Amino acid sequence: LFGDSRSATNPLGYYSPSVQENKVIDDLLSAMVGIEGRYISIRKVRGKEGRFIFLIDASMDLVLQEWIEKMFPLCNEFLCICQFVETKSHYKHGLVNHAFAAALRAFLLDYQAMVAQLEHQFRLGRLSIQGLWFYCQPMLGAIHALSIVVEKASAANISGSSTLNLLQSQANAMAGDSAISSLLEKMTECASSPYLGILERWVYEGIIDDPYGEFFIAENKSLKKESLSQDYDAKYWKHRYTLKDDIPNFLKNAAGMVLTTGKYLNVMRECGHNVQVLLSDRPKLMNFGANHQYLKCIKAAYEFASGELLKLTKEKYDLLGKLRSMKRYLLLDQGDFLVHFMDIARDELVKRPEDISAEKLQSLLDLALRTTAAASDPCHEELACCVERSSLVNRLGTLKDLEHGIKKSPAKLSENNKSVSNINGELDEPVNITGLDTFSLSYKVQWPLSLVISRKALTKYQLLFRFLFHCRHVSRQLCVAWQVHQGFRSFNTLGTAITRSSLLCRSMLKFINSLLHYLTFEVLEPNWHVMHDRLQTAKSIDEVIQYHDYFLEKCLKEFLLLLPHLLKKVETLKSICLQYTAAVQVLMPSMYISDPDISDSLASSKGKKPKGRGQALKPATDCTSVRDSIVSFEKEFNAELHSLGPILSSSSQAEPFLTHLAQCILGSGSDQ
Amino acid sequence: QEAELERLLVRDVLHACQGIDGRLIKFDGALDGYALVDPSKFPRDRRIMVFKLCELGWLFRKVRHYVSSIAGPPDAIGTVGQAFRGALNGELSDYYKLLTVLDAQSRSPIPPSEGSDGGDYLSLRRLAVWLAEPTVRMRLMAALVDCCGAMKGGAMAGAIHAHASRGDPLVIDFMSRLLRVSCSPLYEAVRAWVLEGELRDPFGEFFVVSTASAGSLLWREGYRLQPSMLPPFIPRDLAHRILRTGKSINFLRACCDDQDGCTITASKDVSIGYGETAALEKLVSEASECIDRRVLDVMYGRYQFKDHCLAIKRYLLLGQGDFVQYLMDVVGPRLSEPAGKISSFELSGLLETAVRASNAQYDDRDMLDRLKVKMMKHDEGDRGWDVFSLEYDACAPLDTVFSASAMERYLKVFNFLWKLRRVEHSLTAVWKTMKPNRIVSHQFTKQDGDLRTRFTSVSRRCQVLWDEMNHFVTNLQYYIMFEVLEVSWSRFLDEMETAKDLDDLLSAHDKYLDSIVEKSLLGERSKGIRRSLLVLFELVLRFGSVADRLFEGIYELQQRGRTKSSRLKRLVDDGAGGGGRKELMRRGGEFLSKMGADLDSIANEYSPSLDGFISLLPLQPHVDLKFLLFRLDFTEYYDRLHPRT
Repeated sequence: LFGDSRSATNPLGYYSPSVQENKVIDDLLSAMVGIEGRYISIRKVRGKEGRFIFLIDASMDLVLQEWIEKMFPLCNEFLCICQFVETKSHYKHGLVNHAFAAALRAFLLDYQAMVAQLEHQFRLGRLSIQGLWFYCQPMLGAIHALSIVVEKASAANISGSSTLNLLQSQANAMAGDSAISSLLEKMTECASSPYLGILERWVYEGIIDDPYGEFFIAENKSLKKESLSQDYDAKYWKHRYTLKDDIPNFLKNAAGMVLTTGKYLNVMRECGHNVQVLLSDRPKLMNFGANHQYLKCIKAAYEFASGELLKLTKEKYDLLGKLRSMKRYLLLDQGDFLVHFMDIARDELVKRPEDISAEKLQSLLDLALRTTAAASDPCHEELACCVERSSLVNRLGTLKDLEHGIKKSPAKLSENNKSVSNINGELDEPVNITGLDTFSLSYKVQWPLSLVISRKALTKYQLLFRFLFHCRHVSRQLCVAWQVHQGFRSFNTLGTAITRSSLLCRSMLKFINSLLHYLTFEVLEPNWHVMHDRLQTAKSIDEVIQYHDYFLEKCLKEFLLLLPHLLKKVETLKSICLQYTAAVQVLMPSMYISDPDISDSLASSKGKKPKGRGQALKPATDCTSVRDSIVSFEKEFNAELHSLGPILSSSSQAEPFLTHLAQCILGSGSDQ
Repeated sequence: QEAELERLLVRDVLHACQGIDGRLIKFDGALDGYALVDPSKFPRDRRIMVFKLCELGWLFRKVRHYVSSIAGPPDAIGTVGQAFRGALNGELSDYYKLLTVLDAQSRSPIPPSEGSDGGDYLSLRRLAVWLAEPTVRMRLMAALVDCCGAMKGGAMAGAIHAHASRGDPLVIDFMSRLLRVSCSPLYEAVRAWVLEGELRDPFGEFFVVSTASAGSLLWREGYRLQPSMLPPFIPRDLAHRILRTGKSINFLRACCDDQDGCTITASKDVSIGYGETAALEKLVSEASECIDRRVLDVMYGRYQFKDHCLAIKRYLLLGQGDFVQYLMDVVGPRLSEPAGKISSFELSGLLETAVRASNAQYDDRDMLDRLKVKMMKHDEGDRGWDVFSLEYDACAPLDTVFSASAMERYLKVFNFLWKLRRVEHSLTAVWKTMKPNRIVSHQFTKQDGDLRTRFTSVSRRCQVLWDEMNHFVTNLQYYIMFEVLEVSWSRFLDEMETAKDLDDLLSAHDKYLDSIVEKSLLGERSKGIRRSLLVLFELVLRFGSVADRLFEGIYELQQRGRTKSSRLKRLVDDGAGGGGRKELMRRGGEFLSKMGADLDSIANEYSPSLDGFISLLPLQPHVDLKFLLFRLDFTEYYDRLHPRT
């Protein structure tokens, strides 16, 4: 027993080469599994993680020394991998690293078993150093390739998808060596199995089960779905779930699809619909070899999710019905309700916006809804009214991203005007704006429809509504003025201001009515039908959102709301009309000469007709002031109207819809 | 010889791995590990190998020490602890099996005889290969043992679970096996609780604890979740559902006396365990659906919850008009007396009379019996009006919903409504005296001069003030009755329809009460406006009494004037009649001017109070109150009267 330990102290050169070989092989077998022997010592290199130096007893036979040194890289690489396994199995390094380390450990176990087999041969006296070298050959390449991967991985200290990417790229780089590349592929497969597990839960259930943050989709829990229906700049849909930077290569192309699949599933879960692919129907996301089977699985899951969600929004939440009802109210599809409302709410709406009681308007609105055909619409409860403080033009100025849309529009002309209107925008908030300028409806939208009809979309609807509503108001006022003119039918008005005024009134009416005609029949209806048809055939909710947004954007543009210079013109025209109607109601009665005797007697005997008979017109000479003001209105109106012509025709190159508008508004005007 | 030495080493390593000291390797307390007794005897590689292999022995000692503490006091370990130790024991016995095989192998000589295939012997290197995986497992067990320490129950399950999220398939396998076994007592407890309502938890390990409250408090406070014992793999909402399910069973048993009804038809033999959250969820939702339906059926069916709610609404919230009217008529005169002098016995009798006389008599006798008079605590100077209230006695299990605090709020609402009714009643009474007196006193207008104008002005003053007050009170009452009570009630009915469990029902009821209290200005935040409202009520009552006096006086004057005038005819020569008449005129004039002053002072107080009340309305948090304002001031009369900036 003691003899052996003493013999260890003898320098190796003491023995003959064959004995030396015998002794050294035992040591070498130890060194191959990272254990120091009698003649081989291992030293760590300072400062370099995972580097070792092997020292050999210098008295050894030189030939043997050379043999042994050939073996050292193998030993070194074994130690490196060993160390990697030890460190990366640690809790914090993530699932992929755990799995990778486990696969490496299994590999090392094979290697150790091989060493044990070699020992057996050695014990039987059948192993020479030459034999040892031979037997190690198959392992050499494999260990070397793995050690390269390990070195890179630990140098970059990566985890998750980066590890997977590294493994895959190494496997691809070694594609020429089939044995090694298949080994690396196997490693990749093992390492990716937990990752695919996460992917599977996301794609099939919409749950991120990712304790170490390795998955390529991040969830931002601070974004709430309620923000969609409150916040104009809601980021929920875009930013609730986002792609991270490190996407594994094999999923690069499918990442977007994976993201939306889970997003759809989440929407359905938030609705309380637990739609999941049945466990039995889930194809396992096993490997991601060349056959792209996993891509098919993802595609299938995506189609399932988007189909279900679309079905949900269309059937259960009746998206199209909601949109139709929004069109009915916000785009003035239903006339009787609006007329009734304008009748009863007139007194309230002519006040300044600050003085208007929203509660009173709301109750008037309810009244209008319940007494007209709108009562039969189940959605009419969702409607509310709101009164904003700023005029339409200024409101448009505050919406930043709409400005953006303007910048994109090619007409250079608008650039100048916009800046002018911007500077003025803050200053000339009209002093005399009334509720009629700022009144708008709003519509309560519930989740998940708020995905489509978000606050932003609703705001666009409101902008359209305000424009339409105001046009309608102007048209009604002009009708009133026209009625005033009709009172003069029984007189001989030839040559008086009245004739002139009634002509002006008619041309104004024509203007506003053709504008309304353009807005509703040339813009809203065709675009609506296009969108409606598209929504019928849409395949996913994203498409629905896109089509709906496109519809709104197009309407806004064709409503001239994105072209400030034109919009300003139209607004001026409208305000001239309004001023005119106000003037008419003051001026026209002053045209009568009241004859007290006749009118008194007649007024008492006949209720209705005293106006015509009891009164007479002042002679034309008395009415010069009236005449003057009418003429000035006429001049102003015609000048504005005609100045529209060149702008419309010059811009219509870029914006074809302007031709329609020009035809509508100016069509007959050019004939005159 | 070297082979012999290796064989001995192998045997000793095997011993060390089972925590036994061998001849060559012994446990070294100072090193805290196994070490060779005489290291210098062995070559370096053997020493290192032995050292590495003996780590397993150290780990094993640690685990065995923990497992053997199973014999300790059971309440310190708990069932989960026992199961965990059992699971560890199972793992250890697998380990023993492996060691037995290795031991057998170690007995064959090294190197084997020429003829054998060389598979059946052990060297240290072979041992290293054999023991590699057990070492990983043993390390994990040691780590678990370390972190679990003295924990128990759900907390321990949670601590073990924290180690489970690994990517290593070996670890995943091992942990899920371990967790399945360790958590089984927990799942058994869940099953017993969910299916039978039994709290099988002798050592306080379950995440539901009982607080030993019974009766009406059983539902609200009887059981609660213990967050520290809730393992993270059971989601919080699921835990709440579990809690409610068992609670429902106990509620049915204890409060509803419903023993047979609480059998659950859920598929009981479904296996639940760690990692089968879906199965657990299914079991819980099946059981809870079944039991919740049963609870609601019992509440709605046997205990007629809806009818009781309706009865409370009709009597306590004055929904039954004729009954309230009659009660006001019969009880009113009594209540004007000081609170101390009123016997509640007598009032009960009057209540009974009111019930008999109104349509309430056709109501269910059982519900009418629950209706009682309650006299609240009174101070010196309180009148009967201040202390009178009605009470509805809801017995178990309805008192879970109509808890003491809920009833207190009902009383508060009743008090308010009762006051409002009283004010309205007194206004109507004024109208009733005003109307006939108006006709009778018409002859006053035949009088001439000063008295006539004065009379006209006073009675007009009175009329106008009455109108104004009536407008206010009618609208307020309309608002309370229709906008507040009926709207809340219909919402409550809707929610009752959709309620899925008792908690929903409770919250619906709470919401109902909350909205009533909030909207009828009884909430915390509307103290100021309530005060001004009470001032208004007070003024109206004062007006009532002044008007009463006025018409009484007029009537008296009338009577006297009539007798005077008839006497006047008879004693036309006395000469004294003229003086009497003058005297009468004078006294009448005085009386009228005094009344006029009284009315003026009331009016002077009334209009600023009303103005204050109206100006406070828009500041109220509830949007419905804005509608009240809109209604009170529909013609914008008050707005124009006191233009606000």
